[in-house]
Amino acid sequence: MRASRIVQAIALGLALAWSLAPIYWMLATSFKNELEASALDPTLWPHAATLDNYRGLVGGTLPFPTFFVNTVVTCLATAAVAVAIALPAAYALSRARFRSRGAVAYGILVSRMLPLVVLLAPLYLLLLHAHLLDSNLGLVVGFTTFGLPFAVWMLKTFIDAVPIEIEESARVDGYPRWQILLRVVVPLILPGVLTTATFVFMDAWNNLIFPLSFMTTLEKQTLPAALVVSFTGQFKTDWGGMMAAATVTTLPLMVAFFAVQRSMVRGLTAGAVAGV
Amino acid sequence: MAAGRRPPGAEPWLDWMVLPTVGVLAVVVGYPVVYTLVLSAQHYNFLEPEPARFIGAANYAQLVADRIFWQALGNTAIYTFGSVLAAALLGLVLALLVETYASPRMRLVRALLLTPWAVPFVVTAFLFRYMYLQNGGVVNAVLLHAGIVRAPVAWLNNASLALPSVMVANVWTMTPFFFLLLSAALAGIPNEVIESARVDRARGMSMIVGIKLPFLRSALLVGSLLMVISNFNDFAKIWATTQGGPGYATTTLVVYVYRLAFENFQFGYASAMGVVWLLLLMGFAVAYLRALRLR
Repeated sequence: MRASRIVQAIALGLALAWSLAPIYWMLATSFKNELEASALDPTLWPHAATLDNYRGLVGGTLPFPTFFVNTVVTCLATAAVAVAIALPAAYALSRARFRSRGAVAYGILVSRMLPLVVLLAPLYLLLLHAHLLDSNLGLVVGFTTFGLPFAVWMLKTFIDAVPIEIEESARVDGYPRWQILLRVVVPLILPGVLTTATFVFMDAWNNLIFPLSFMTTLEKQTLPAALVVSFTGQFKTDWGGMMAAATVTTLPLMVAFFAVQRSMVRGLTAGAVAGV
Repeated sequence: MAAGRRPPGAEPWLDWMVLPTVGVLAVVVGYPVVYTLVLSAQHYNFLEPEPARFIGAANYAQLVADRIFWQALGNTAIYTFGSVLAAALLGLVLALLVETYASPRMRLVRALLLTPWAVPFVVTAFLFRYMYLQNGGVVNAVLLHAGIVRAPVAWLNNASLALPSVMVANVWTMTPFFFLLLSAALAGIPNEVIESARVDRARGMSMIVGIKLPFLRSALLVGSLLMVISNFNDFAKIWATTQGGPGYATTTLVVYVYRLAFENFQFGYASAMGVVWLLLLMGFAVAYLRALRLR
């Protein structure tokens, strides 16, 4: 029994090291100067710790604060738009009875599973003709393709959990359905709404292919795309600067992640078993 | 719950509340899918002055003869199924391991084990690219010091090592998902089941394989379906580590389609590949969901 406990503790230690070592390495490198960060024999911790890499993000040749704002704005807008459009649909799919319900629910589920790249060329042409290429609005439209179906399914699971009796008195008072949704249901599932919005936000934050394909002006790029673009320029050999930029790109996602960590599984598997 | 209030014939055909979603999805998903089908039958190069022209199935014929397409398809399969399988196994081991400890003390450990999930894909890619550097990379430094390798290894520049190396980064980000999912499934096993198995002297492996695993089956199936789909679509990790190279060693279908569409602007050909891929993915999803129902 004791031997197996020791084996377990060692295994757990290895698991922690495997999970955290790369993150530690990113942080440590972001505080190293250029010479130390690219030393042939890497140092375990920054021997001459410096904040220069972070200062370089603000004052360097690339406008990282602008990239940061671009990413936050487009991802927040996507979360807000997706949830606003998805709420009535989720409510109707959960409560209303109509004949095309199964088809609509299934269609939304399928559109969530579509490979993004299949949409890439036509979406590019669509945005081109709508004069939305290289604009934040166009990017939000792109992000919505996967954010919206996801939001519908996740919100539906939250609304399904609200007993229908709670809505009865409002219904007796003759409120229209959209008012019941806004006044009775939304306040009850507010944590669920915020969780859903956070998920959509995180998904958009992770997206690289849309900003890389749809944005042509460097100043309008998002952080993930800017990392890729800058790697061929500013950070070619400056791994310290690169890791500082990477840390800044990670922080908002880390905060969002731990805010919704508890509902993570529920969120990601929402609709996966097609409980129509 | 409200079903049966009205006879089915009296139900309206559509509900206006789903219209905004259906409308938006019709424009941003439905229209592109149909347009992809149309494009796939055209010769349409964005850079050429002449307009698109209909060429029937020629793009598909070109695709069958395209060696890179087949290589990309193979790479996609290895990348996707290899990473998902490894991450699911690791996640399972972690979930079983953490479960044996009293839970309140383990809250921090759990959170720490989940952190790779919160790292953006692009960051993961650059981080591993840095750690894999042939000269000055920490992976080589550790292996050299431990005496495991004698000369620095070119992880990402070696055609046979590049794909497995990117997969390691991928497994790193994906394991927390399976860990969390399977931990939740383990916690959902009724206590009586565990107790009665204990009375029957089920211990160690027999407890895990005979009693616990069957309860994890549907969580494993659903989780791996989702991860297979998201890996089929994975662009950020591969693009930011190797851009599909060296040669075509890590070129998956997404990377190839992106190259065709946005470096060569061959929208017609790229669309044909998109259609084939769409059919493959849908076929896989349907087969998988069938398997799920056969419980």
